[in-house]
Order: sequence, then C-alpha cells, then structure tokens
Amino acid sequence: MILQLAVTGLMVGMVYALMALGIVVIYKCSSIFNFSHGAIVAFMCYLAWAFIVQIHLPLWLTFLLLIASAVVLGWIIQVGILRPLIGQPLLASVMVTLALMQVFGGTVTLIWPGPARFYPEIIPSGTLNLGGAAISYESLISLAVCVLAFIAFMYFFQYTKLGLAMRGTAEDHQLARSNGIRVVRMFTLAWIIAILTCSIGGVLVGNMHGVNYEPVSGLAMKALPAVMIGGMESVVGALLGGLLIGIFETIGSGFLDPLVGGGFADVFPYIAMIALIIFKPYGLFGYEKIERV
Amino acid sequence: MSRRPSGNFETSYAQDIAICHTGFQQVVMILFLIALLIIIPLFSSSYILSVFNIIGITIIAAIGLNILTGYAGQINLGQAGFIAVGAYCCAIFTNHLHMSFWLALPLAAIITGLVGTLFALPSLRVKGFYIAVTTLAAHMIIMWLITHGGKVTGGVEGLASTPPQIGDFVFTTEQHYYFIIIGLTVLLTYAAKNLVRTRFGRAIIAVRDNDLAAPFLGINVFRYKVTAFFICAFYAGVAGALMASYYKMITPEYFPMLDSIWYIGYLIVGGAGSIVGTIFGVVFLKLLSQLVMWGGPLLGAIAPIFSAGAVSGLMQFTFGIVIIIFLIFEPRGLWHRWQIMLSSMRIWPFPY
Repeated sequence: MILQLAVTGLMVGMVYALMALGIVVIYKCSSIFNFSHGAIVAFMCYLAWAFIVQIHLPLWLTFLLLIASAVVLGWIIQVGILRPLIGQPLLASVMVTLALMQVFGGTVTLIWPGPARFYPEIIPSGTLNLGGAAISYESLISLAVCVLAFIAFMYFFQYTKLGLAMRGTAEDHQLARSNGIRVVRMFTLAWIIAILTCSIGGVLVGNMHGVNYEPVSGLAMKALPAVMIGGMESVVGALLGGLLIGIFETIGSGFLDPLVGGGFADVFPYIAMIALIIFKPYGLFGYEKIERV
Repeated sequence: MSRRPSGNFETSYAQDIAICHTGFQQVVMILFLIALLIIIPLFSSSYILSVFNIIGITIIAAIGLNILTGYAGQINLGQAGFIAVGAYCCAIFTNHLHMSFWLALPLAAIITGLVGTLFALPSLRVKGFYIAVTTLAAHMIIMWLITHGGKVTGGVEGLASTPPQIGDFVFTTEQHYYFIIIGLTVLLTYAAKNLVRTRFGRAIIAVRDNDLAAPFLGINVFRYKVTAFFICAFYAGVAGALMASYYKMITPEYFPMLDSIWYIGYLIVGGAGSIVGTIFGVVFLKLLSQLVMWGGPLLGAIAPIFSAGAVSGLMQFTFGIVIIIFLIFEPRGLWHRWQIMLSSMRIWPFPY
C-alpha cells in the first residue's frame, strides 16, 4: 500500500515539478509570479487537442506547432503586456498574471465549452508490476517525458551560452546588461520556456485525466505550493517541491481520506505550504532576502 | 464651485477634516443620499433594485479588501473565502441556532474577522507574493471545510437562512433588502473613509509604503497587518451575512476563486488606496458584466460555435482584457482619472 502510494506520488509529483519549473524560470528572470500557469497549461492542452482531433494533423506537426505557438504566446505576453508594466508596484504584476488567467480561461470556455474531451490513444494501455506496485504505461511514459524535459532544461541552463545569459539575468539585471545581455529578450525567452513546459505538462495531464478546463488547471495550480515549498528561486527546489507535493498528496488521500472524507488531497498541499511558510518562509532552497531601508 | 480654485485654506481643525468642504459639496451629498435612499427604492423596478443590491454587497466586501490591499499593501486573493465564512456563519446562526438576523450579522462579521486574523499569521514572517499565495490557500482550505462540513454547512447542497424581521415585519422583497444593504453600505463606506484617516490608517499606509522604515516611526508592523486583516475579513463577513440572507439559499458554488480575483479587479479599475475609488470600480465592472450578460447571447447568435460557453467565457475574457488595459494605461484607476477631470474643471477655462 505505502509503496504503491509512494510510487504514484512520485509520478504525479514529477508533473508538478515540471509545472513548478515553468513558474520558477519566470520568477527568477523577471520577478513575476505567474498565477496564470494553470490556465496556460489548460489552454495548451486544448490547443494540442484541437490540432490532433479537430484539424487531424500528424503528431510531429502538432509538436512543431505547439512549440511555435509557445514562442508566439511568450512574445505577445512579454512584449505586449508585461513590458509596459516594468517598474509598477507588486499589485500590478500579481494582477496582470491573474488577468491573463482570466483571458486564457475565458478563451477556452468560449471556444471549447462543454464536457471533457479525450486524446486518441497513442500510448498502449496496461500496467507494469514492479515489486507489488502497479504502474500504468501512461504514467511511466509521462514520468520519462518529465525526466527528459528536466534534463534538457538543466542542460540548457548549465551548459549553453543562452542558458548562462539567463542565469546572469536572474542574478542581477544591471550586471547582466553591462555584460551585453539583452535583459528584456531574456524575459521573453523565460516566458517561452515556461509556456513550453506548460505544453508538455498540458499534454501529459490531458492524456491522463482528459482534456477538461477545471481539473487540468486545478492540477497545475498545485504547482504553486510546490514552488513555495521548494523556494521561488531554485530549479532544484522546484523539482523537490513538486515531488514532495505529489507524495504528500497521494499519502494524504491514501491515509487521511478514510478519516476526514474525500477530497482532502486537494487541500493538503496548501496546508503543508502554510505550515512551512510560517517556519521556513523562503522555502527549502529559496534565497533568504536581506533588505535594507 | 465644487472645489476652491486656489486650494484649501482651512481655518479650523473641524473644517480641515470635514468630508464636504464647501456648501456646494454638502448640497450634492445630501441630494445624492436622498436619491439613493428614498427616490431609487421607491420608483425603480425590482430588476434595477437587484442590480443595486448586488453592487451594494460587493462594495462592502471590496472596501474591506481595499483597506487590506490598497492601504496596507497586503495582497489578499481569498476574499471570496472570507465572504463564504460570513455567509455560512450567518446561515448557521439563523438556521440551526434560530438566532435573529440582527444578532447573527455582527457575530458572523466578528467570527470572519477572527478567521482572517488566523490567516494573517504568516505575514509575521513573509510578505508580497507569499501573502498572496497563503490567502489563496486560505480560500482553498475554507471552501474545502465548507464543502465537507456535513450537516453543519449542508455540504454541496448548501444551507438556507431565515429572512431578517423586525417584530412581525419580514424582509422579503428586493425593495426591503435594498434598505438593509444600501443602508449598511453607506454606513460602512463612511466608517472606512474615516478609518483610513485615523492613526490606524496612517500607520497601515506607512507599512504599505515601506515596511522596513515603518518600525522606526514607532509602528508595530505585525500588529497593524493583523488588524488590517481583521478589518478586511470583518467587512467580508458583513457582506457574506447579507449575501446569505439576500440569496436565501447559499451553496459553495456562490464563492468561486474567480470572485476573489474579481475583487482585486475592482480595486485595480477603481483605484487601490481610495475608498470612493472602490465604489467606482465595483459599479463600472458590475455594469460591464450586465452588458456582457446582454451581449453574450448576441455573440452566440452571430457565431454559433461560441454559443454554449458564450456568457461565462466572454465574461472572463472581457474581465481579463479590461484589467490588463487598466493596468497598462491607467494603473491608478478611475478614481485618479476622476481627480484629473475635477482639477481640470476647477481651473477651466485656463490651461494651468
């Protein structure tokens, strides 16, 4: 029982970690906390469904089109909406992502209303038995995709020149600029990367739970506690926070649901997050901020 | 006429703190109150009264949020959750405990205030985004508790509340509720307007502007943050209690997370850090949403693919776009625009 829960938790947690990565990348670069992440995940999920099912495009073309739309969306959001807001107070930057959430949510409800849709079955269904824990092929594939994506992004940040430029931007805008890095372009790149993680996460979640706005965006919203627990500036923290949330959640639902009634898994991550914030405000790996007047 | 052209030169303290500085302003204010409290309720259809009632309830909750977010600078993404606490407290008191509405309303408001204080505790350690996310979590936790409250809260089926009554007179129609709701709205707006000019108001403004410098002015930052949370949740509690009584039957669906975002939206559109601005924001967005309710089916008729999700989808979409436009072009809200208009009127016809 506990092994099964832990393994399931790890699978779910890896998806959360991927979503948390998207939030962390934007926050590190431009200090904007992206509340619209869940809505963008759902939007990309629907977009992929529209490409595959409504327009009957082959998978490789869908893949390319999703990347292209991530680039276009990231550019529009950064250049059209966020650039005019540089220098505005915190409330503006919080509210603008919440407004984006409304725009994406509204677009989805407007174009694709009604019940859940489903992707055609690409991955054969079935389960793999692993020492008493049953794992479905779907979640195995999604785990593999998440791990691959994580490795790819890690490689990008650690070993490429563009990745170095992004890390430089995250350290200090002024210094990055004096080294010839175009900071605003890095912001755009951060949004594009974040929306790419949204697309991957959206397709994976849509594949597991069906293409449906509320559950998909709700699932992606759980990346918020993951980011908080991991620390807002840390990619490793995002990974660890996501996995922790996944395990908390499955164990919470496995052991506590019979005691307190169903659905406790939905709030357990938030309770854990508030408890952690009171004792360790900047998460496990976040920077401790030292402020001066 | 409405403003003195060359500035305010008051000769006594009482004159300086008066809300209406000139005789003209006093006349306008009295005429406005007469229209609001006597003429509108007596000569309007029940549809218009229902719009007014909903706007009134929303204004109360939004003013509370403005004190916390606009004045104290703590972003609260859980206002709908606090309203739910107030609504359910009122419904439980009147339904299960057979209390009078007039006793249940203040009790519900105080209990909601205490719940708000509970979620203010993380503000001891963190600020900014963290507070925003903890209040978001507060909303999730509150709604989960309400949905799983069993017989006490009625779960997903909701809870009915008994209507308020004085003696044998029972409040039932839109018009009856209009007097309670708008009366309380006027009263609480007046209270808030004065509250933000007291020592407390100045202190929370100092906390908002720089919470590192505030302690050097002798301000206990944590205490003022917690008090601001209490007041915000108190207003939410009053709004919730009114809502429970006005809708007669409340379910968890009346308090979606979306509403919490709308409340911040009212502040952005009206002007955060201005009590009267809140009213501007609520009225503007509520009228806009009425417009969308008319326009949504129209859009569905023109383009049939949009028909099924037209109203709710278009509502969300319009709201998001309006907020983004305001943030980019008028981040200080309608209130600021109104002030600019007034001052240009004051010096008219000269350009400066």
